[in-house]
Amino acid sequence: MKLTGRLKNVSQEKIVFTITLVMFAVFALTLDGFIGTSNLLALLRSVAVLGILGLGMLIVVLGRGIDLSMVANMAISVAWTIQLVGTGMPLWAALAIGLGFALGMSLITGILVAFAEIPAIFATLAMGTFIYGFGRAHLITGTDVVYLPSNFGWASQIGQGRLLGIPIPIILAAILAAVVYLFLRFSKHGWNTYNIGDNTQASRITGIAVRPTIVLQYMLSGTAAYLAGLITATAVQSMNTRMVNSNMIYDVILIVVLGGVSLSGGRGSVRNVMVGTLLIGVLVNGMTIMDIQYTIQNVIKSLILLLAIVADSVINPRDEQTGQQGDI
Amino acid sequence: MTTPVVELRNVTKEFHGNPAVKGVTFELHAGEIHSLLGENGAGKSTLTKMVAGVHEPTGGEVRYLGKKVEFSSPQEALENGIAMVFQETSLIPSLTVAQNLELGNEKFLTRLRGLWISAQQFLQSLSFEVDPTALVSTLGAAQKQMVEIARAVRHNAKVIIFDEPTATLTPEEKYHFFKLVNRLKDEGVSIVFISHALEEALTISDRITILRDGEHVITDEVKAFDRDKIIGHMVGRSLSNELYGETKVQARQSRPAGKRMLSVQNLSMGSIVRNTSFSIFSGQVTGVFGLVGSGRTETFKIIAGVLKRDFFHGGEVRLSGRPVRYRVPRPAIRDGIVYVTEDRKVEGFFETKSIAQNIYSGLLGADLNQKSVISYSEMAELAKVWTDRLNVKTIDNDSKVIELSGGNQQKVVLAKALVQKPKLIILDEPTRGVDVGAIAEIHEVINELANAGLPVVMISSYLPEILALSDRVLVSRLGRVVEEFSIEEASEEKIMYAAVH
Repeated sequence: MKLTGRLKNVSQEKIVFTITLVMFAVFALTLDGFIGTSNLLALLRSVAVLGILGLGMLIVVLGRGIDLSMVANMAISVAWTIQLVGTGMPLWAALAIGLGFALGMSLITGILVAFAEIPAIFATLAMGTFIYGFGRAHLITGTDVVYLPSNFGWASQIGQGRLLGIPIPIILAAILAAVVYLFLRFSKHGWNTYNIGDNTQASRITGIAVRPTIVLQYMLSGTAAYLAGLITATAVQSMNTRMVNSNMIYDVILIVVLGGVSLSGGRGSVRNVMVGTLLIGVLVNGMTIMDIQYTIQNVIKSLILLLAIVADSVINPRDEQTGQQGDI
Repeated sequence: MTTPVVELRNVTKEFHGNPAVKGVTFELHAGEIHSLLGENGAGKSTLTKMVAGVHEPTGGEVRYLGKKVEFSSPQEALENGIAMVFQETSLIPSLTVAQNLELGNEKFLTRLRGLWISAQQFLQSLSFEVDPTALVSTLGAAQKQMVEIARAVRHNAKVIIFDEPTATLTPEEKYHFFKLVNRLKDEGVSIVFISHALEEALTISDRITILRDGEHVITDEVKAFDRDKIIGHMVGRSLSNELYGETKVQARQSRPAGKRMLSVQNLSMGSIVRNTSFSIFSGQVTGVFGLVGSGRTETFKIIAGVLKRDFFHGGEVRLSGRPVRYRVPRPAIRDGIVYVTEDRKVEGFFETKSIAQNIYSGLLGADLNQKSVISYSEMAELAKVWTDRLNVKTIDNDSKVIELSGGNQQKVVLAKALVQKPKLIILDEPTRGVDVGAIAEIHEVINELANAGLPVVMISSYLPEILALSDRVLVSRLGRVVEEFSIEEASEEKIMYAAVH
């Protein structure tokens, strides 16, 4: 009785965090070079982009939405920025135009979801395809891959630079996590995001500006996508627009869900995303050191996700009360 | 004395160590209608769910037809002849009536035509006028209830448990329902009837059992009870007079009408609200009575911006003489029109949030917060003030609203609306699903608001409540306000007459 009583308080977040710690300990003991500073920084560095995308996704998911257009938005807006710089436009202007494009696209997405009331999953799926198609047809000429020109200047430090020995992507991800935390906890819009995800009808009747808040959520995820894109492009000196067709967006959803954010909205926080991101980081890093094939890595990742979900449903079984409202 | 059909001996049910039912003994005889009454949370549903196999008792035993039984699922109970008709229907809306009747024993291959015919014959034999080929989603509440009952009968149920069957029914549908229940009784079926409507229980039952806080209070023949006695047993004190007593209604003086706060002209929305016109005055409670489907809720939702009136010829709403038209509730709230919903779970509170967070959300929604960022100290203070004022019973204000009883939930929803400093407050069924003790407290708050000079609109389907609180009564029928009474001239008969004719 006492044991189940104690287990009752175990959330999925705690399960995932425990799994992460256990794996970390096992890798630290068994793998050479895992515990070294350089490897740990590499570990964090490798998931910084995913974490930033996850933070953007978190805001949308908390408001009972989902943004499947993030990767397309990030690839095309950044590829366009790079190309504009390559054609001789001043760096700041190109960055502003790229950000403007990302914001403009997410504004359209937000309007489709909030005002036209198209379910988020369809609206963002279609917008993702539209952004990619439009970008490839009219913005990015030539190849799939846009290479970073030499005059990219200080901005190339975003992906490659270090501050006090810490890679800048990690610092940016940490800053963004702090900003999103403060936004969700202390701003009215953040508070309303939770309310809308919890009960949209009640939010409306309470006088919350539901639709503008939803649009804001998508614009914030668009901003996160642009930042993530800049890091990716400057780190590898190019932006491969084909990444839109990869399964990256599922990885983003994976870390959000894994950490215990509810897809039905209203439940979750920055901490959940950080836990999910760390698990994937430790797992992928460990498997890479062990030299496990990429395809096998995917299998293991998915098994871990299933394990976390099963553990959650065993420890927190759905009773009549919670069963009323299904996920998604 | 014959053996009872169902017998509960000293049963107890605990949820996470909290007893919901404590050592209750209960007998149901063949061919009787047995009402189960009690406040919210008294354990009525839990008790019957143990009979129907939804819950297993943690102590005591359930005996059925003289033998000890342990049903592990409602399915098993149904196969043995115990059917439970739940509050929220368990039909599948996207299937037809006939398919729903067949639910649970479908064959591998189904011939629809044969299914229609047998369902039609079966429904005819019960004299239910429901089209077996209609989708359940197109049916009204009473017809859904009929299908549920038909399903129970089809399984040759010997015991049928109704959990608040009449809450969603109109008076006409109720009449059909009671006729049906009586016919089932004549056929020897034993019926357990859970209800909040005491008059219904008094007219229909043979015996009545009253529970309080999970414990058995009394079981007796219906003759031994009247309204006051039942309420007395339910709350353990005599509240009836305090709530709806004759003397209180008789002695009431209506508050004089203040200035005209709201005037509505020719308001229309589709076929639900049709050219309705009326006014609301400050400093008094305007009771709005109407049957389900009379458009009373919709009318006031339009005023509060929750619904939109017709674009053309939608009519006019004037707030203190100024014409207003809201597309969303937000500007209405900024103008001081606050609507408190009849369905608090669907559109009232935020279930993942605490009491304090819910109340503070109301403040934020009206932009009345002192600081521009979320202030957790302001929130705690606000919550303390309002939970004290409305007497919300809870261990602390960080408990989730979903964990509270119906009455306390309603108080939180009310507090959330009142912090918005309303200039016109619309309360839609303020005491639906609320226990008797909390009803008195909510009524007190409503009177205080009106005494403080606020225009209060109270929509209610319960006539004694309308008569006990209103200064002015509007009666709505077929989308229009058809009659207006001052409280001195109003009576239950007059109001009901206006509502149905």
